[in-house]
Order: sequence, then C-alpha cells, then structure tokens
Amino acid sequence: MSPPLTRARPGLVRSLLRLFTVQGSWNYERMQGLGIGVAEEPLLRNLRAEVGDDGVAYRAAVARGAHFFNAHPYLCGLAVGAAARAEHDGVPPEQVERLRTALCGPLGSLGDRLVWAGWLPLTSGLALIAVALGLGLRAIVAFVVVYNVGHVALRWWALRAGWRYGAQVAQALREPLLQRATALSAPAMALVVGAALPLVAQYLSSAFFGWARVALAGVVAGGFGLLWWQRARLTGVRLGLALLAVAALAGWLWP
Amino acid sequence: MSLELQLLLLAWGTLVGLDLVSVPQAMIARPLVAGPIAGAMLGDVATGLQLGVLFELFQYDILPMGATRYPEYGPATVAAVSAAHAATGTLGLGLGALVGLITAMAGGLSLHALRQLNTRAVRRAAAALEAGDPRVLERLHAAGILRDAVRAAVVTAFGLLLAQVVRAYLAGALPPHGVALLNVAAVGAALAAGTAGTLRLVGRGPSLRWFAAGVVGGTVVAWLR
Repeated sequence: MSPPLTRARPGLVRSLLRLFTVQGSWNYERMQGLGIGVAEEPLLRNLRAEVGDDGVAYRAAVARGAHFFNAHPYLCGLAVGAAARAEHDGVPPEQVERLRTALCGPLGSLGDRLVWAGWLPLTSGLALIAVALGLGLRAIVAFVVVYNVGHVALRWWALRAGWRYGAQVAQALREPLLQRATALSAPAMALVVGAALPLVAQYLSSAFFGWARVALAGVVAGGFGLLWWQRARLTGVRLGLALLAVAALAGWLWP
Repeated sequence: MSLELQLLLLAWGTLVGLDLVSVPQAMIARPLVAGPIAGAMLGDVATGLQLGVLFELFQYDILPMGATRYPEYGPATVAAVSAAHAATGTLGLGLGALVGLITAMAGGLSLHALRQLNTRAVRRAAAALEAGDPRVLERLHAAGILRDAVRAAVVTAFGLLLAQVVRAYLAGALPPHGVALLNVAAVGAALAAGTAGTLRLVGRGPSLRWFAAGVVGGTVVAWLR
C-alpha cells in the first residue's frame, strides 16, 4: 500500500526542491532524464523499507527514473510524482516505463501552451507596458514576483497531482481549472503583448526625431516583412546583426 | 569601470545564465530583469531598463522548447548594459545592441557545447546509472549544473570583454549620423523581431483578433500620452 500524502510530505518537499534543477544535466541522450531521476529519488527511499529486498526494488526504480524523459520543466513533477507513486503501488516496471513515455508529449504540449506561450509572455508583456508607462524597477520586481507565484504553484500542483493519481495521472490533466487556464492564456497573452508593442515602440524611440523616426518605421516594416517571409531561415538575432552592420557602414560613409 | 564592478557584473551574468536552463528558471534570465539589475549595479537604471526592453523584444522571437537551439539573451543583456553605460549619451543603445547580439549568439553556441559534454558524461556512466546507483546519478547531475555555471561565467566574461573592446575602438570612430543610424537599426530590429515572434505565437486563430485589439488599445494610449 502506498504512503498517504501527509506521510510523504518531507519527500515531496525534497523532490520539489530538486525539481527546480530538473534541467541541470540536460543532454542529447536522456534529455531531462537525469534530472527527473534525481527529483524522484527522495520519493523512492521508502521502497527500501517497504519491500525489504535489500534495496533491489529501490535501485531498479532509481534506474528507471533516470531514463529518457522530455517535457515542460514546470510540469515534470507530474511525471515524477506519478511514476514514484506507481512504483510504491507495485505497478509492473514495463507499465511504469510506458506511463513515463506517454506523459512526455502531453506535458510538453500543455506546458508550452500554458507557460511559454501563455503565462510568461503575458506577465512579461504587462511588465513591458509598466516600464513604458514609467514604473521603472517596480515593474521588474512585480514581474518576478507575480510570474514566480504562478511558476512555483504550478510545480507544486504538478508534483502533488502526480503523487495523488499515480498511474491514473491522466485524470489530473482534465482538471477544469487547468483547462480554463489553458483556454484563457492565449487570448490574454495576445491582448497584452499587442498593447505592449506600440507603447514600447514609443518608449524606445523617445530620443528619435525627424528623419530617424521615418527611418525607424521603414526598418520595422522591412524587418518584420523579412522575418515573416524568411521565417525558416532568418532569426531576430541575425536580422539585428545585419542591420547594425549596414547602419555602421552607412554612418561611417555619411559625410 | 572598476574591477569590483566588472566582477559584480560577472557574478550577476553567471546567475542569469544558470537561471536560463539549469537552476531555477525563475526568469531572472529574461533581459527585462537581467538588464535593469545590471543597470542598478552600475548606478544607471535607465540604460538597464532600455536595453532590457530592447532585448526582451528579441527574446519574443524564440520559444525555448526541447532541444531547439536559440541565442542566450540574459548574460548578453548584462554585457550590453556594460557597453552602453560607459559609452554614455544616445550612443549607448546601438553599441549595447551590437555587443549583446554577438554575446547572445556565443551563448547559444555554448549551450550546444554544454549539452554535448553532458551527453558524453552520461554515456561514460551508463552502467552505474542502469544499476540504479543514486550517488552516481546525483554526482552527474551536480556536475552538469557546475558545468553550466562555468559556461555562463565564460559567456558573461566574453561579453564584458567585447564591451571593453567595442567601447575602445568603435565608440569614438562613428560620426553623429552613424550613432543615430546604429540606434535606429537596433530599435527597428528589436521591434520587428518582437512583432514577428508574437504573431507566430498568436497564429491565425481567434487570438489574432485579441492581438489586433491590443495593438489598437496600445496605440491609443501611446498617442494620448
């Protein structure tokens, strides 16, 4: 029988702290696997006492925990908790492996939509607006605090939900709050970043006058067109370096 | 700039570089955070904010997913602020962007090299990992984090060095028109990259209308100010 949530709390806290380093040993062979194994280990320690097989089950579970894994880092806790719980519940090893493999895609996709394409640009866009409106460092502090409230809450929820549901972890992904957050994050992000762009343009060009403003409009339109048209080959950093090189040359030749 | 300040920037750049992937992904690696804090260290928050905003727009051009390769803008912004601060006046933005973009590319390459080093270490320890030795697992993981810290420090040091070189050889060589052109190119590229990146995220679905509404709202507010 698996340990209840309260008895597992010290292990969960240790696991959560280790999850903050989940990508610390990211590599092309196992991707996040090592980090997942390190985060899962505190939740597997009880296996040594429970099974009483001189640590054979514990070591096998640790080895499985460090196999290939790749998903969104903030949601890795769901896989860590679910796999550890499944090990305690005596789920067959091949089924634990299948569970981990099955979670990679959904957790990656959900995390990308919820965080990388939702919460992060949303809060960063709000901070850009606040800086453009003159809030200065206060906007930056607010961004770090607000973003990380969501970040830490998501990591903690994921780990607890994984531990609670074990092999039935798919149920956790159907929670209404998660569904609503995913549905709302895209339009909210679009609205906020859309509003931030003109305000930031005004903020950054406040020192430009006359021909410089006209030139800026041309550079933005042309640069955007190039990035959109050549999106497979041209990146922002390459465009930036190319434009700076052209500008330096033109400025040097301009009498 | 004093050695103490350079070391302070190096330490901050290292923390920022570690935050990007390894520990703890709290988004101090975002240029919007890395820049103003570097500016505050130099007593020049305004320059830090400007370059933070500029590189945050470049950051919108990338999504840090899985094994994708992308420029690293955190330590790059720290180096950019260092370059712009010492250049003083309006020259700062263009010069900072130049240093920052080159450092960002170097940072991206260093991430790929780090991942290859980690892969080799994992292959060497494959037998111990398959035996489920927790100490080997933890040692490998800690070594990976340490490697990333060294990588971040090297990238930041490269950026700070580049800032010194550019300040010494480029800052005085450009006429006023050249300075203005450099600034226009930096801001223009950042705005283009930010807009294109955001539109790629938004896509052609229902969120596009929300994006358009945001642009209209932002333009009205900017016009009224």
